[in-house]
Amino acid sequence: MRRFRYYAPNSLAEASRLLRELGETASLFAGGTDLLVEIREELRTCAHVIDIKKIPDLHELSFDEERGLRVGAQTTAREIEISPVVRTRYPNLASAVAALGSIQVRNRATLVGNICRASPSADTLPPLIADGAVLTIWSEDGERSLPIERFFVGPGRTVLARGEIVAGVTIPPPRPASARIYIKHGRRKAMELATVGVAVSVDRHAGACADVRIALGAVAPTPIRALRAEAALRGNRVTPRLIAEAAEIAMSEATPISNVRASAGYRREMVGVLTRRALEAVTGAPQ
Amino acid sequence: MTRDLSITINGEEREFAVAEFRSLLDALRNEIGLTGTKKGCDVGDCGACTVILNGKPVNACLVLAVEADGGAVETIEGLQAAPDKPSPLQESFMVHGGAQCGFCTPGVIMMAKALLDDNPEPSEHDIRFALAGNICRCTGYTKIFDAVRAAADEMRKAPAP
Amino acid sequence: MNIGLSPAAWKRADADLTIVGRSVKRTDTLEKVTGQARYAGDLALPGMLHGKIKRSTIAHALIKRIDASKALALKGVKAVLTHENVPRVLHYGSPHPRSASVTKDQYILDRKVRYWGEGVAAVAAISEEIAEEALALIEVEYEPLPAVFTLEEAMAEGAPQIHDNGLSGNNVLPTVVVTRGDVEKGFAEADLILEGEYHLGRPTPAYMEPNVCVCRWDGNGKLTVWSSTQTAFMVRGALSEVLGVPLNKVRVIVDHMGGGFGAKQDLFQHEFLCALLARNTARPVRMEFSRKETFLGGRSRHPGVVWLKQGFSKSGAITARQARLTLNSGAYGSHGPGVTNVGTAALTSLYRCENVDLVGRCVYTNSPIAGAFRGYGVVQTYYALDLQMDEAAERLGFDPAEFRLMNAVREGDIAPSNHPIVGHGLEDCIRRGMAETDWPRMRKRARQDGVKRRGWGVGCEMHGSSAYPGIKEQGNAVVKMNEDGTVTLLTGTAGLGTGAHTALSQIVAEEIGVPFESVSVVQGDTDVVPWDIGAFASHTTYMGGRAAQIAAAEVKRQVLDHVAPKLGARPEDCVIRDGIILAVGTNRSISLREAVAPAKGMPAAQLIGVGTYSPRKSYSFAAHFVEVEVDTETGEIAVTQVVPVHEIGRVIHPIAAQGQIEGGIQQGIGHTLSEDYQIDLKTGRSLNPSFVDYKMPLAMDMPPIRTIILETAPDPGGPYGAKGVGEDPIIAIGPAIANAVADAIGVRFRHYPITPEQVRAALRDKKSGAE
Repeated sequence: MRRFRYYAPNSLAEASRLLRELGETASLFAGGTDLLVEIREELRTCAHVIDIKKIPDLHELSFDEERGLRVGAQTTAREIEISPVVRTRYPNLASAVAALGSIQVRNRATLVGNICRASPSADTLPPLIADGAVLTIWSEDGERSLPIERFFVGPGRTVLARGEIVAGVTIPPPRPASARIYIKHGRRKAMELATVGVAVSVDRHAGACADVRIALGAVAPTPIRALRAEAALRGNRVTPRLIAEAAEIAMSEATPISNVRASAGYRREMVGVLTRRALEAVTGAPQ
Repeated sequence: MTRDLSITINGEEREFAVAEFRSLLDALRNEIGLTGTKKGCDVGDCGACTVILNGKPVNACLVLAVEADGGAVETIEGLQAAPDKPSPLQESFMVHGGAQCGFCTPGVIMMAKALLDDNPEPSEHDIRFALAGNICRCTGYTKIFDAVRAAADEMRKAPAP
Repeated sequence: MNIGLSPAAWKRADADLTIVGRSVKRTDTLEKVTGQARYAGDLALPGMLHGKIKRSTIAHALIKRIDASKALALKGVKAVLTHENVPRVLHYGSPHPRSASVTKDQYILDRKVRYWGEGVAAVAAISEEIAEEALALIEVEYEPLPAVFTLEEAMAEGAPQIHDNGLSGNNVLPTVVVTRGDVEKGFAEADLILEGEYHLGRPTPAYMEPNVCVCRWDGNGKLTVWSSTQTAFMVRGALSEVLGVPLNKVRVIVDHMGGGFGAKQDLFQHEFLCALLARNTARPVRMEFSRKETFLGGRSRHPGVVWLKQGFSKSGAITARQARLTLNSGAYGSHGPGVTNVGTAALTSLYRCENVDLVGRCVYTNSPIAGAFRGYGVVQTYYALDLQMDEAAERLGFDPAEFRLMNAVREGDIAPSNHPIVGHGLEDCIRRGMAETDWPRMRKRARQDGVKRRGWGVGCEMHGSSAYPGIKEQGNAVVKMNEDGTVTLLTGTAGLGTGAHTALSQIVAEEIGVPFESVSVVQGDTDVVPWDIGAFASHTTYMGGRAAQIAAAEVKRQVLDHVAPKLGARPEDCVIRDGIILAVGTNRSISLREAVAPAKGMPAAQLIGVGTYSPRKSYSFAAHFVEVEVDTETGEIAVTQVVPVHEIGRVIHPIAAQGQIEGGIQQGIGHTLSEDYQIDLKTGRSLNPSFVDYKMPLAMDMPPIRTIILETAPDPGGPYGAKGVGEDPIIAIGPAIANAVADAIGVRFRHYPITPEQVRAALRDKKSGAE
């Protein structure tokens, strides 16, 4: 089914009403870089496309030291990629959005769309999780906030109820002496879906790891935290040996599958390599 | 359902009706008759349909025609300096062997134009990074990079009036 | 003409060339860079319908029932075709005339399905969307048959027979046997014997323009087909034969086409279906594959296995070579016979060996169809040969490039086509590459033991221009001089995008003595241009160019016969330079324009030359030198630089020739490291029919390439000594990469593509073996 009806509501309320009234075959449309592909490849039955780009006030991209980075539902990956503040304060997110498709795609694709698509391999999710991003979810009953790592249920599935719309995402301000990185592994340098993605954000204190968050992509039904690896690091002095141990633990926390892109075993092995490399990079440990 | 649209295409305001589910790519090719923009995959993977929409390069296959209503689209057909005079970028692709079968060429050139509009002095990496989403299966890219680099040099020497 | 000149005369002729050898502005590219170039899918005719193909979701089955009634009832649907209402004519999927290169094993639509994704029905509707919706409404009930996907399964005792009227045992062709000398004696004399199995992946050409055609019947029962094909006259022949229409009632037009790389020599069901839908509806129909369909219904390189055993003497000579090539043809024969023959015969050469025993087989399976693809069997067998050469060099203690030089095919050796080799092309390439890369120093530097390790490798190849002796080819050209002195070349050879038409124009301009800009080309219309076998086998410039040269020489003769008396000279004492006719040794001259201008409105003379050329064969050569970097922790292999050295005789257009080489290298890097079209080995379902998962190296991935072209062994059969270059670059790059990986990490892989996972596994095995 390639024919569909197109709606361009002027408010979140109207968009939400359409979602509720049109039911299962209605989809929100922001960048469309996944939605239109899924429709064309018959991966999704979609009779109604609800374009949210006419809704005012969803195009925010702002930063303040208090609240951090705020990104609206219409803000494109490319806008984030070239934003000086994102590049300096959130290099992990900058490299994740820059790894998403091509410039042509990123001029359309939105960060919030990438989140809502809930692909286990989505590049932006590990850094957002590692940085503790919070979603703003709109419904007719009002707004609610949800930490992003509680958003995903399975591949393509989220906790959103029908009629709920993610209006934006907020990433807390980087703490002093913190560092962050996202490393993507794929067969090509661009136009790639991650076979494994690893994000590490760390708060350092006097040679020790005060706090750390490790998020893994493409190795489970949803992006996950490597909680036990984090625990092994937290509060401890960072040594190559500790990093190797943490990487080893992260491998055991991954539950990857085998498909045409990579085998489960190789993905798990790469979790170890990439986690170690990411930890080395953010802790300044000798390589 | 069809929609009446008004889109400025290559500087000319065009009014036409199009089915609401139709892509900008299909509208350009089939409704407007501008077939220079190519369909290589129809899912945003190849860049053959790259056009500049409201100043930004996009894959026309991943844009609905209705979304471009009231906007401005530049395609390969609008790039020439005059009807019988290719732009310096187009000329450079001819001279440096940047086009072989030519199917990816319009998209590559539009992406290169977007790059040079933003960044008149691109590094080798900048050129590769900008063209990351344009698949060429004939040239091995070497001659495309040559063409873009030479065009940038040429255009800096003699900036457009 | 400069044909058959001595080397000294070649040199003198060189100095006289003014157009050949220059990178003139390609005649076809202005249209391409401005978006004006028309490809088949750009055509829109009034009242045109859109055709779509329904494809099977099972790999091997009989169609028990097919019901199109619901599809026909959908508003906007104009016609549906199934095996029940199309002509049942067995045809050649790749219709090369008078050749044993192809098989006759296809129907337009059959009641039997032989691979997952085969067309089982077709629809014409007023829009693409409606046509697609109609496909979903066609009900097909299958009776599944046991399916076989691998060579082992297809060749096993009691395996299901995929074709009823083929050879037994799912063989596409009778076993190919090539023997020279006495291998038993050769092995007995050997000091070292190496033996290995080399496994070949399934790369596909992945040309940018999906398969497409537009068909229209006029009121006189004439069919016009605009198609993206390398072989317009072959498509015309097939349509004529299968639809029962005489050749003068079928016209095939190919203006520009978006790449083919060999695969677009075949027919892809859609030409027939589109023509029939157009006839049934009395409206033009366009049928355009999606990218996914271009994978599903397209053609790949033949996967398979090469078993290779060679004997070597301590002094570095090859004493015996024995090989068994087994190729997986997929569901239909396509070019299986040609590819098997060429690939097998190629093993008689490249590296000298007097005792060879080669056997080639090609087997049907329920897999996607393998067909013609740049490198045509030689990619497969030379990969095995050149990997084993590298191993032998190491075992015998020779430098790998020196070892190749010692064994390189020499002038006068008998080539796979049974012709003597002309010149020292391969030796020249190896020597030049060694000098350019500072090879001895590169190879001797200390082996690294860090995480990322670099290595250098070399791979060689030779490849024939033209498909002779497999196909007796013929190129034709017509050259007309217009009454203002300009020239029109009519050629049947297709414009694949290689710049061949520019090369042909250069040859014509050079031969007559007019400026390049004075020559224009008419091509791609079977009603207008002389018959042509098609653009393939690296022969377009070699064969089509030579035919154009012959035609141009004839026009020049006519012009001089006509004009010489006016200059008071004999024709043989006149020359044409840059459009001016000079009587040599006098100060008398006249411009061509003046000489042939109309008098009283009548052209001065009818000036038309016809050239026909049946080539034998020439060989081009290459040695590729490659550096790789291997990340030993992730297993990723990056090609960091390539120095390809090619000997291709006279270069007509340097930039176009370099472009062929660099493009072939891109495809070859892909084949060797990342490209593999995969199917599920339980169901035959395609696993990666998209550009996301079929991984070609792109702009960010390509290494710097420093292309070097040598002209040291021009061929007397080609125009001005030119030889082919189209296929060569894809052959040498693969073994060069694999050998560089061996240099970097000490692991010899015997297959392609070499994936990061396999690198990791091999390094683990190596480590545990060492412990």
